[in-house]
Amino acid sequence: MNIEKIKTSAAPILVMTEVSKAFPGVQALRRVNLRVLPGEIHGLVGKNGAGKTTLMAVLMGITEPNEGTIEISGKVFATMTSKEAIEAGIAYVPQHVAMMDSLTVAENILAGELPKNKLGFVDWKRVNQEAEKRLEQLNLRLDVTKKVEGLGVAEQTMLAISKALFGNAKLIILDEPTASLSRSDINRLFDFVKSLRDKGVSFVYISHHLEEVFEICDRVTVMRDGRIVDTKNVKDIGIPELIMMMVGEGVEEYTRESTCTDEIVFVLNNLTRRGCYEDISLELKKGEVVGITGLQGCGSEQLGKGLFGLEYRGVGEVKIHGEEFTAMRPIDSFNQGLAYLPQDRYRFGLVGVRPVRENVTYPILNRLVRLINLINRNEEKKIVSDYIKGLDIITPNQEQPVRLLSGGNQQKVVFAKLASTKPTVLILHEPTQGVDVRAKMDIFRIIDELAKQGVATVVLSSEIRELIGLCDRILVMNSGKLTHEYKKGAKDTTPENILNAIEGGKENHG
Amino acid sequence: MKTRASKFLAIILDNLIWILVLAGLVIFSVLSPSFRTPFNLVNTLSRSAYLGVLVIGQAFAMISGNFDLSSESGLGLTAMVAGLFLASTTNGGFGFEVSPILAILIMIAVGLIIGFINGILITRMRMNNLIVTIAMQMILRGLIYIISPGATASFFPKSFDWLGGGNLIKIPMEKGNLAIPTASIFIILAFIIAHIITRYTQFGRNMYAVGSNPVAAKDAGIETDKIIRIVYLISGFCMAIGGLLIAGRLDSATPRIGAGLIFPVQAAAVVGGVSLFGGRGTMIGAFGGLLLWSILDSGLSIMEVSPFWIEASRGLLLLFAVGIDAIKVKGMHQRALEESLATTQIGLKDNKIVTD
Amino acid sequence: MDKLKKIDWMKQLLDNFIWIIIAIVYLYFASNVGGKFVTLSNQFNILSHASVLGILVIGQAIVLLTGNFDLSAEGVLSLTTIFAMWLMVVPRTDAGGAQASGLMLNPLIVIPIMFCIGILSGWLIGMMITRLKMNNFIVTLAMQLVLRGIAMLVSGGQIMTGSPALFNWLGGTRINGFPVAVGVTLIMYLVVNYLLNHSKFGRELRAVGANRDAAQASGFDPKKTITFAYIISGFMAAFAGWMLLGRLETTISTLGQGMTLETVAASVIGGVSLKGGLGSVGGAFAGVMLLSIIDNGLNLMEVDPFWVQGVRGMIILLALLIEAQKFRYKPKVIHENNEKPAEKVSA
Repeated sequence: MNIEKIKTSAAPILVMTEVSKAFPGVQALRRVNLRVLPGEIHGLVGKNGAGKTTLMAVLMGITEPNEGTIEISGKVFATMTSKEAIEAGIAYVPQHVAMMDSLTVAENILAGELPKNKLGFVDWKRVNQEAEKRLEQLNLRLDVTKKVEGLGVAEQTMLAISKALFGNAKLIILDEPTASLSRSDINRLFDFVKSLRDKGVSFVYISHHLEEVFEICDRVTVMRDGRIVDTKNVKDIGIPELIMMMVGEGVEEYTRESTCTDEIVFVLNNLTRRGCYEDISLELKKGEVVGITGLQGCGSEQLGKGLFGLEYRGVGEVKIHGEEFTAMRPIDSFNQGLAYLPQDRYRFGLVGVRPVRENVTYPILNRLVRLINLINRNEEKKIVSDYIKGLDIITPNQEQPVRLLSGGNQQKVVFAKLASTKPTVLILHEPTQGVDVRAKMDIFRIIDELAKQGVATVVLSSEIRELIGLCDRILVMNSGKLTHEYKKGAKDTTPENILNAIEGGKENHG
Repeated sequence: MKTRASKFLAIILDNLIWILVLAGLVIFSVLSPSFRTPFNLVNTLSRSAYLGVLVIGQAFAMISGNFDLSSESGLGLTAMVAGLFLASTTNGGFGFEVSPILAILIMIAVGLIIGFINGILITRMRMNNLIVTIAMQMILRGLIYIISPGATASFFPKSFDWLGGGNLIKIPMEKGNLAIPTASIFIILAFIIAHIITRYTQFGRNMYAVGSNPVAAKDAGIETDKIIRIVYLISGFCMAIGGLLIAGRLDSATPRIGAGLIFPVQAAAVVGGVSLFGGRGTMIGAFGGLLLWSILDSGLSIMEVSPFWIEASRGLLLLFAVGIDAIKVKGMHQRALEESLATTQIGLKDNKIVTD
Repeated sequence: MDKLKKIDWMKQLLDNFIWIIIAIVYLYFASNVGGKFVTLSNQFNILSHASVLGILVIGQAIVLLTGNFDLSAEGVLSLTTIFAMWLMVVPRTDAGGAQASGLMLNPLIVIPIMFCIGILSGWLIGMMITRLKMNNFIVTLAMQLVLRGIAMLVSGGQIMTGSPALFNWLGGTRINGFPVAVGVTLIMYLVVNYLLNHSKFGRELRAVGANRDAAQASGFDPKKTITFAYIISGFMAAFAGWMLLGRLETTISTLGQGMTLETVAASVIGGVSLKGGLGSVGGAFAGVMLLSIIDNGLNLMEVDPFWVQGVRGMIILLALLIEAQKFRYKPKVIHENNEKPAEKVSA
């Protein structure tokens, strides 16, 4: 293993040129150009769905690009296998590090090449010594006899980085490494990474904790909708500009008239969940649309899921229509009048192989059931066809498996499903994510229509301009607390002010 | 942030098997005077030696993250093949009456072929290892019946029987000579060798790597498929040795030999700490599992408990073992969650730590 | 988009291929065995065998649809029949009746008790798998052992014969040579197939098997669904026990050994995916027919019964191979929203 001080030359260690990648139904990367220098910590930021994961997959040789080239230390690849990527010096440290958990630190470091004694048997004493020696070269001290699963997450990450270096990695991709780390853990990790950078190792640092990006990165690249927005020196910009680049200008300005009434239908009182959010208090009125924004990890996602029953909700009072909201599972939430649109459509939103018709009616089957559990097909077909018409869902027919629809139409199917439960409260998590421009307007129209009918809507989103157009109020959530409120039409309700109110999310657990 | 109580619990769970073994010894010794005779104690191991070899094979498979549910039929097949080749026609064999050495070699060949086929189906054809080995178990059992013209083949040469049924040495004691069965010593040696392999060879450690995280193992340059194929070969070899032990002990072979063994084999391995999830467990622990099994078997039959209670209890033991395994893993997840929540500053009012 | 269309086409072909194979196999036996194979009474024999297997397959297919296995069904078969005999049979001195309890209960009481055993077993398994998160394969395997052990205990390892006529109605009655059991099974299939396609439970089953998370977020309770699937399987196994015992009028604790894997094979051959969510009971019926025809044909060709066992094992392997090939056609998409790559297509 050799870590030499590489002379800082202008020659970049990585150049990705005009890389494009399409998957069935979605253009994941559009002519991406990226350049990483030796001895640099290069941040990569962007919303979910911006293309960061796909870009890294291409870089690691997991996925082949449709167009473009990858140049590593001067060697050019049009396509690359993951073996070639590793040999070229690319290493990947995932958020949940891929280690052999039930084995010791020493064994993980020396896997496959354990030192042996004269008889050919493993010499455990030397195994531990050799492992310690290697770690010392990186100034890392760990108990090499401990099982990896017993290490703290910070140590596991540092170990993974070390392993990569022992494998002669020159460019290490760190994917959300600080997700469950305490402040002191982060300090230790950052010191370690910086010391390696000083020795000439390059890092691509993917994170949504923007404050950390500013803390550790030299330069940062912003991605949006599969494109590179820009690459900047970290000292030349601030968090607001970064966020702006991440969420973009938005399309045509959309505004709607408020349909907020005076009747309070949904109340949260000091809702607290350990590690996620604290003292969330909120009053929603009939027909009101409230936006909650903040950085990823601020707690809004857990709040949405917790209220719906997909996760633990925490302690505190929740009232719907003045009565206690007791639902702990999705079916109860639907029955008590709360519906949730998940951010991850494919995993939580739709059963891909089943037809449109079934996906729309899952939560309301009880209403459609006649004797012995049999579904009234005619009534079902009518309801679904009404929604298809009303929401303008483009599909050849009701029997089409939803996975074959476009992203925007899939989202409309989810909306149809939620609307059919006649909810009092609707929680939408990134409703326009993965939706093409034209369908976005349709989505806004749907939200407006539902609000007109009196549904109290909470929109969890990072698209600030969209929120300004849609919402009666916008709340900012920072580190689990609701810290700011901006009312529709007020003078201080501007994208800039709201952006400035968002801090880099520091703590994020669960 | 481990509390003293949870640390204590962890130690208990890790060494559960030895506590159970001790408990079993004590309980049965107290309950039955014939249990605690030197004769019985020494023979307990020899009676289950053939099971023990299968436990070794299964433990190897489980450590590497796979299952081999065909071993009971493989054992039966190798035993039957040996019987047919050794016995005279009057005693139910083919009449070849080959030398014991040749018979043993043939058995080993059969076992290795079985292991080879399993390995290829699972690694090259990418078929589910549970279903493949269960299907093999059925096919092989059918094969046993097909090749045996009669019901039993018996009366093998003494030298063949020596390993499974013979005695190694005789220790003079008060009431006469105590014969130490070869099988008892053999199985202990077998476990020692297995332990050396799993703990002190590169191959053994690679097994753990593959079972713990095949992706990470591959990244470290370990040829995961090759390791798995070798493991199945070893399991096949163990089937042959097991066949040798049982045929030697019974001095005969019937088509039914080995039927139903998969349950005690599985239970012994899991109870001994070899996890269903792979990458965990030691041969020493597995030996403890075997001991527990032997003690239970011996104790219950000496106390003349109905053999049918014994059958049912085998299934219960397996359920128990699997339950403990699941609890252990769940506990680990819970502790990991607790640790990550311990350092947060948010929402300290809420004291619950909830896993799904 | 085109690739996805190709997948559906391929899948359709593979799914319905089975009927072509059945026809080919049938013709093979018809030509090789000749007269004995094509008689009416032989058709009834084929169907008789198929009926018991068929009932078991209904249960297994339902469990498979949720993405799990049930290896305990044959244990339920064994225990329910043994226990029923123990309760019903007049104690006699000869081997077949020595183990009876002497209670001599009426079959009308005993049959529901059989169902209760099956339901209880299924419920326990469901609890262990969903609440304790234990591995479904091993749990159902162990349960099989426990059930057989109890059966052994009750029967003392002996056969038990002499079930009363009232009990034997389902399994033993023939109308003009046509076994009633076959008719019952056919009706069961039609009913269950219809229910699965038209009932809330059928939707629930398929949704949970195809995408458990989305099913939960759509208002289903996967734990309940899976447990209920196992309960149905247990019930079906008990029903099959009633049918089988009625036909044979004899039982032994090793009854049904090996049938479990047959049920998995029949299901897989019939298009039920081992990963869950895909397939129908009707497809599984095709698998049952195929296996029954093969069993019958080989029997008539006087093939060694243990060869037949071996052939069954090989068919299972073949079915697995086909299943593995089906999944080659799944497109994989790197998914942005999770940390780990997920599949855009759910099954």
